Amino acid sequence: MANSYALLTSLNGLAAGLFLMSSFGLAATRQMQGCQRFYITQSMCLVVSALLLGLGLHAPDLLAVAALDSVMKPIVIPYLLKRTVPEEIFRRREIDQVLNIPSSLLIALALTLLAFFLSGYLPPAAGSIAAINLPVGLAGLFIGVYTLTVRREAVPQLIGIFGIENGALLCGFAIAPTLPLVIEMAFPFDMLIIALVIGILTRITQERVGTTEVGGFTSLKEGASK
Amino acid sequence: MASSIGFNLLQVLFVVALAPLVAGVLSRLKEIVQSRRGPSIFQPYRDLRKLFHKDEVVSEQASWIFRVTPHVVFVAPIFVATLIPVLTSYPLFFAFMGDMLGGGFVLALGGFFATLAAVDTANPYGPMGASRTRMVGFLAEPVFMIVFFTVSFVAGSTIPYIVQQHWVTPLSNFFAPSHVLLVIAFVMLILAEAGRIPVDNPTGHFELAMIDESKSLEYSGTGMALMKWGGQMKLLVLMCILLNVLVTPWGLASGRSAAEVLWAVPLVLLKVGLFLLVLVVIESSLSKLRLFRVSEFLGAAFVTSVVAMITGLLKF
Amino acid sequence: MILLAILAVPLIAALLSCLPVGRRVAPAVTLTSCTVVLAMVIAAATRVAAGSSVVAIVNWVAIDGLSALILLLVATVGSTAALFSWGYMAHEPSARHLRRYYANYNLFVFAMLSVPMLAEPNLVWTGVELTTILSVYLIAFENTHEALEAAWKYSVLTVMGGAIALLGFLALFAATRGQYPGGAYTWHTLIELAPRVSPAVLATAFVLILVGFGAKAGLVPLHTWLPDAHSQAPSPICALLSGIKTTVILYVILRLVPVLNASGKVDVDGWAMIVGLFSVGIAAFLIIQVTDYKRLFAFSTVEHMGIILTAAGIGGAAGHYGAVYQILNHALTKSFCFFAAGATLLAVDTRQIADVRGLIRTSPSAGVALLFGGIAIAGAPPLAVFLSEFSILRSGMAEQHYLATGLLAAFVIVAFFGILYHLNLMVFGQPSSQTAHSIPVKLPRSCVLTLILAAAPIIILGVYMPQPLHRLLEMAADGLSR
Repeated sequence: MANSYALLTSLNGLAAGLFLMSSFGLAATRQMQGCQRFYITQSMCLVVSALLLGLGLHAPDLLAVAALDSVMKPIVIPYLLKRTVPEEIFRRREIDQVLNIPSSLLIALALTLLAFFLSGYLPPAAGSIAAINLPVGLAGLFIGVYTLTVRREAVPQLIGIFGIENGALLCGFAIAPTLPLVIEMAFPFDMLIIALVIGILTRITQERVGTTEVGGFTSLKEGASK
Repeated sequence: MASSIGFNLLQVLFVVALAPLVAGVLSRLKEIVQSRRGPSIFQPYRDLRKLFHKDEVVSEQASWIFRVTPHVVFVAPIFVATLIPVLTSYPLFFAFMGDMLGGGFVLALGGFFATLAAVDTANPYGPMGASRTRMVGFLAEPVFMIVFFTVSFVAGSTIPYIVQQHWVTPLSNFFAPSHVLLVIAFVMLILAEAGRIPVDNPTGHFELAMIDESKSLEYSGTGMALMKWGGQMKLLVLMCILLNVLVTPWGLASGRSAAEVLWAVPLVLLKVGLFLLVLVVIESSLSKLRLFRVSEFLGAAFVTSVVAMITGLLKF
Repeated sequence: MILLAILAVPLIAALLSCLPVGRRVAPAVTLTSCTVVLAMVIAAATRVAAGSSVVAIVNWVAIDGLSALILLLVATVGSTAALFSWGYMAHEPSARHLRRYYANYNLFVFAMLSVPMLAEPNLVWTGVELTTILSVYLIAFENTHEALEAAWKYSVLTVMGGAIALLGFLALFAATRGQYPGGAYTWHTLIELAPRVSPAVLATAFVLILVGFGAKAGLVPLHTWLPDAHSQAPSPICALLSGIKTTVILYVILRLVPVLNASGKVDVDGWAMIVGLFSVGIAAFLIIQVTDYKRLFAFSTVEHMGIILTAAGIGGAAGHYGAVYQILNHALTKSFCFFAAGATLLAVDTRQIADVRGLIRTSPSAGVALLFGGIAIAGAPPLAVFLSEFSILRSGMAEQHYLATGLLAAFVIVAFFGILYHLNLMVFGQPSSQTAHSIPVKLPRSCVLTLILAAAPIIILGVYMPQPLHRLLEMAADGLSR
């Protein structure tokens, strides 16, 4: 029994490590399609972690959440994006970036270190099996915020939001594994609606403005010329 | 003691004799994946024998460095082969002569001389390739350092044999994130140091795009043979470090009889063969990166290794 | 049960608005549902003010003094904005687009009604996210380049804020769960359990929620989306957004203040004051350099959010009373300001301050309304906002936060002059060759009616406070201190 607990801990650590690597990939990739694929990988790692924690902590709520998320995040949300966002946007690359990729990677690394440092301030995890979820989830959150701030195209910003949510959920598994089921269910549906709304907004933006490089939208500032 | 020395020599012989075979198997597998027949797996031996019988043509501008380099490049991996666990899981006679940093140093020495020799002739392609090799080398240095530092810290020693004993002892450690991420980082490092796709094309003939191949551009005859053989041994040595120290210590002989050590030879070859399959998949599915993107690739390797270090060392 | 009915009515109205039966049904349905909701909310609020509690589902849907006040404001501004929409949106050419507007309007009002009603904090997070998501389309309604830019910035920044606040809510849940597993989890039990919870965790959760929901409420420095969104949306929606949506989100932040005060070891009052003053200061100075009069009012919203947070930080019974009084007055006054701005837009068809001169001649009703709104929101006596700001300043002196009170007064005066300078030029300035229209434009009747209806409480509350309302305010202030 103790052996399987150790095995589950290691496997959970592996899932968390791969989650972190996908977060880096999310922040550093140029292609829209690549961004989406890293998000799907990140979501799968989240699901695996939820599954392992549910088994290790004997929390059936987590297993239900894992099941729901395994359908919602890798399948439904990309499908929704594919339907609402025009096809050609996904074939784009972000050519001029604010920070080039090695710098982005280094900043993401610094944010990870910050997350590991700050994770000491959140409530203790639900046992040592989930000890790694906290810093990794926090790191995923920070890297999502970073992606949101630095990228100029619409799709990476959207995927940055989803990355923030993934990070917050991974943390949540560790610090609140007994959240009532009705609330745990609300989170994926909320993400679904966000995907829908922002996807439609992207489509409208593409049609109306001709480009989705939303980083270049500065006409509403005070000093800007209209 | 005598058996210890004997096993050490057997280890070196293993690396020297079987490196061309490994290279042959690798190129055959790549050709098979591309739906071609490919050369025989013993072709590198025939190439080496042919080259040893040929005359050397040396440029008038070349200095003593040019003549010395093939020997350095040939001998460096042999030195490292005495230090790392190739066939046995317990330290052998020369095991404490140098640790992993020392081994890395010696390999870098070979690379250093190769770079100098490439600049030594008056050929314009040599220095171009040499500067690129140096760029890849210095970008890969931090990854080496962090990988070695992490494994040494966990194992409490920098000697490869001792690291190997401590690194993967409980099975659950195999899935630990630091372990997996270190392996990924080291594989990316092998791809960079040995000049495989996606960093460099080992079968390319286009001098303007060469990175690692440029070191043997000017050589012919014996020099060429030694450079080629040295390159193949370097790949095998790196693979042994990865497989025997970092990934799995399985298949290595733990007893002290000659039979066990001999039995380890095909087992290690099997492990190497499995890794060759992985290498072939990587090489066949990726394309060569543009030069400025090599820094992104190695940056990703660096980040992976640092994350491995963080998750392995920071106790939260 | 009345609470569930309050929630059900806008949903039904949203469904009915979708029916493809022309363009008259949707506005009428919306207005009717909003008035019905207002009546029900007044009934519930009177019951709360009389001392009895109104509960629909125990521990999940219930209201106390503070939530009753917020509900009242949501219902009131929802009704006036619905009335204003009738005339304002009549110029929309496409009937389908119009119906979608009203359906979305009803859903948005539903979401905003749900937030004060829910007693379980995690569900409150869901409600707040719902309000955010349901307003994106409304902001992008005009479908221009600027509107889409505003909607994009809005959606991205506020959803990010929501995700960050999610972590805060989870931390809060985990912290108290450890103390009282298996029990109910509402705002009130949070206050009870706070002393037994580790203060570091509470502080972390509060910071996360402050950052996350502060982005949604428009607190500096994450306020950058607010001027864009609140100026590009159609004016009735601006009234809803500025008047009540930001208030509702600030309400959620304010709910945490008594929790941290109960813990006793975290100086939440100091933080609230600092963050609030920062917002007031930055907004006051930003008001001076606006070029667009709707952005002027939007920056004023940021300023008032800061004032409310500072008042909550000043603390004590007087400070909390000042905060809820300010919430009440701000909601009513700001919605009026945006109605006036909408009337101005109808009259002169431009949003730039520099292009509008001599409004009093172009459209007297719009000019008078705009001037009145500007004076009211800047805090001039004898109107409502002056009284609440004055009470906040007085409570600050009483609690001996002299520096904070001095800074607050200074910033409010700066904003006062900024607003009045711009509005004075707009309303009374000499029309130059740049102005677009000099032909007087007639405003739709419903707009004028709304302006009169919305102005009435501002004038009345400046001189007289009805007793039930006073009791409700006291109970709300009580909810902030216990």
